[in-house]
Amino acid sequence: MKFAFFQGCNIPVRIEQYAKSTQAVFKKFGVDLVEVRDFNCCGYPVRNVDEKAYILPSVRNMAVAEKLGMDIIVICNCCFASLMKAKNIIENDSQLKEELNLILAKEDLKYNGTAAIKHYLTVLYSDIGINTIAKNLVYKVKDLNVAVIQGCHVLRPREVTRFDNSFVPSITDSLVTCTGAANLEWQGKLECCGAALAGINDKLSHELLTDKVDGAKKAGANFITPICSYCHLQFDTTQRNITPDNQEILPVLLYPQLLGLCLGISSEELGIQENSTISSKNVESLKLSLGPPVEEKKKRKRKKKENV
Amino acid sequence: MSFDILLGISIIVFLAGLFIRLSSWLSQSIDPENNTIPLGTRFSKAVSGIFSTVFSADIIKIVQSFFVDFILQKRILDKSLYRWITHALIFISFILLLFFHAFGTFTFNLFGSEYISTLNPSLALRNVLGILALAGVILAIYRRMKLRSQRLTSYSSDWGALAFIAVIMLSGFFLEGARISSYTIYQEMVEEYGDYDGEEAVALEAYWVAANGLHSPNFATAPDGELVELGRELNQDGSCVECHASNSSAFVSFSFSKIIGPLSAAIGDTTITAIFWFLHIGACLAFLAWLPFSKMFHIISAPISLAINRVMGKSSDDPVNALNRQMIGLSACTHCGSCTMECSSMMFYESFQNDFILPSEKVQFLKKIAAGKDVDQQTLKRLQKGLYVCTSCDRCTDICPSGINLRDLFINSRYLLLEKGMIETSMLSHFSFPLALAQKYAGSHLKALKAVHEVFKSKFKSLPSFMGQISLSKNKLLDNTSYNSCYSCQRCTNICPVVRNYENPAEALGMMPHQIIFSLGIGNTDLALGSQMIWSCSTCYLCQEHCPNKVELTDIFYRLKNIAINKIEAGDN
Repeated sequence: MKFAFFQGCNIPVRIEQYAKSTQAVFKKFGVDLVEVRDFNCCGYPVRNVDEKAYILPSVRNMAVAEKLGMDIIVICNCCFASLMKAKNIIENDSQLKEELNLILAKEDLKYNGTAAIKHYLTVLYSDIGINTIAKNLVYKVKDLNVAVIQGCHVLRPREVTRFDNSFVPSITDSLVTCTGAANLEWQGKLECCGAALAGINDKLSHELLTDKVDGAKKAGANFITPICSYCHLQFDTTQRNITPDNQEILPVLLYPQLLGLCLGISSEELGIQENSTISSKNVESLKLSLGPPVEEKKKRKRKKKENV
Repeated sequence: MSFDILLGISIIVFLAGLFIRLSSWLSQSIDPENNTIPLGTRFSKAVSGIFSTVFSADIIKIVQSFFVDFILQKRILDKSLYRWITHALIFISFILLLFFHAFGTFTFNLFGSEYISTLNPSLALRNVLGILALAGVILAIYRRMKLRSQRLTSYSSDWGALAFIAVIMLSGFFLEGARISSYTIYQEMVEEYGDYDGEEAVALEAYWVAANGLHSPNFATAPDGELVELGRELNQDGSCVECHASNSSAFVSFSFSKIIGPLSAAIGDTTITAIFWFLHIGACLAFLAWLPFSKMFHIISAPISLAINRVMGKSSDDPVNALNRQMIGLSACTHCGSCTMECSSMMFYESFQNDFILPSEKVQFLKKIAAGKDVDQQTLKRLQKGLYVCTSCDRCTDICPSGINLRDLFINSRYLLLEKGMIETSMLSHFSFPLALAQKYAGSHLKALKAVHEVFKSKFKSLPSFMGQISLSKNKLLDNTSYNSCYSCQRCTNICPVVRNYENPAEALGMMPHQIIFSLGIGNTDLALGSQMIWSCSTCYLCQEHCPNKVELTDIFYRLKNIAINKIEAGDN
């Protein structure tokens, strides 16, 4: 399997470890994530300003993937939503499609709609499958409480994103629990991290973030696992910027980093230490929580019995 | 004599230009906060920066930069083999011609031998290098034409630089061609170095006409074969060959001589030679004088910028040297367009048709800002927008072949302009997100943001200040009419995390989500546009997802934001 890897603007420069760990995990399953230099911004930043300007960049990105003959895999929720939204709008508006294709024609590109847009969690869950993942686990984590923050734009609006049940999502939960981690039910799991208001209304943005950090801490989280790159930056950068020195910071662990550890990939390769909220103590305790997966234990027991 | 005068003038102009450019590194600035750092401070910081680098382990980085960035040009190679070949063809040929042709006497002396331009390898090498440089120019022209569709813009100065190089090379070929065919020069040579008369002189001349491109009035038709053979022997045995290889080694000029020959017969060979001499020498000297005032200054500034980039990395600890570095960077831009070609915001340029969204175009204009030139308000406003419509992906900085720290340059310029007090509606977009993360010039950001919010407050009515009767009318602005299905259950407001965040949401937000939908229902878009709620919406889509009647609240809020920004922009203040 091969995908055009859409990283957006934040990941290559601010969250390189997200791309790195995702690539490492997918490599384990023989899925190649190809970096495409020709991709541009997904359009999301301009959404407040102009709808058409918001759509055009994503249409171009899809046309670029089409030209390469590949489907697109996305890790950032906001990029994912922008691509899906653009696809949704343009598929139902032939006049707009023609208009935007005219702009793309200048660089010999054309949107036909043949490239599929997939969130990386969907590929893990549906294309690779939980069973295959479980079979490949070298370790499972024990006594590790993970608070997932799903990110709004991958779930809602459901008609556009078509990712999971938007009220009771289960894909991320299954993927987290299969690593052995305790997936916490906590207030804020499906809510907003405040990123969309950063730089526009910082006070409100910080309040929304603090609300989530407190909620996850209260639920007993050892780590917070943001799916969206914007959520990640809120928790990994803004949290550090706004947390007073005497208060504890809630460390961030990305999902591919958690899964990667269980697949036997080194923490260096997963760039765990590159998360700015994670301390070496956190990494140590994370490594200590790695134990053998249950299935293997059973096998060993059986072998022992046979030997006896 | 006239050569010495021309050379003197061009060197004086070159040095004056060099002085102006170098001093601009320390005198110009784009800095929102410390606009008046004295020249002395900037100079001493620069000197101490150089010293602390040279006398530390960082010297290795400079050596590395010299070989990897300057000689090998790895940054260009990393991005495009085509561009690397193009640049290398021009760059290497030019340098070699400079040392082995223009400064030939000096260079050969350095190696303990004598420079004889009429002997190989010099004779052939000049032609090879000239052709290679011309090939580079052709590749560069083709690139600039082909990539126009990908937003690569070319100014007359870009074409001018290429034309300059082409003229230098071509005039060189023509000059050499003219000299090869010139009968006067031939006569002078024979007089000085040869001692032939009678049949021998005729034979030698015949040989030079037949084999060396000489255009002699004595041979209207091709000379007789036997005569030529005798001439060849004389040429071989005599003193000629010691100082003059066969002109066919200068293969380009040699073929040019065939064209020039008949021409000089008509006009006179000394005139033709003089014309091409003035053209070639004039072009070379004009190039020298023009260099510091043009993008060709990158020959000097780019290696320095690249070395600084290697030593300092992307972040600059010392603010004064960060500024010095930015000004050096600004002078190292070649308008090659690499940044623009990979700019994440390229599609926003297609939508808004604002040149300043493209990084390469921003830089050209920032040179004017740095020099403190007067720029009209409208252009400044466009520049400010162009600077703000940036995803802060740093691609331009990572890719720049001259190692310019465009990121810092753009951050500084952005806040420098915002400090001037012009309203920037793009601040209300997610372009603000990475700026909030970086926390640079946070004070300026807040101030400018407040100014934008003030404009919105004054432009649109808000519910508390609304007086008079509300009348029912039809909404004409919104294409999304799902608000018509609202039956005021207030589910949206009850689930909104932003509403929940405030003790007194009415005061903080103006109107609750359900009230906005209600005001749209009765046709009062203005009230909805004036509500703080739309700018406080976290776009989490919970309201829209939970609405029992499928009112697309978040999408409507996005549209309202678009309309509000449009209205402000249209009725410019």
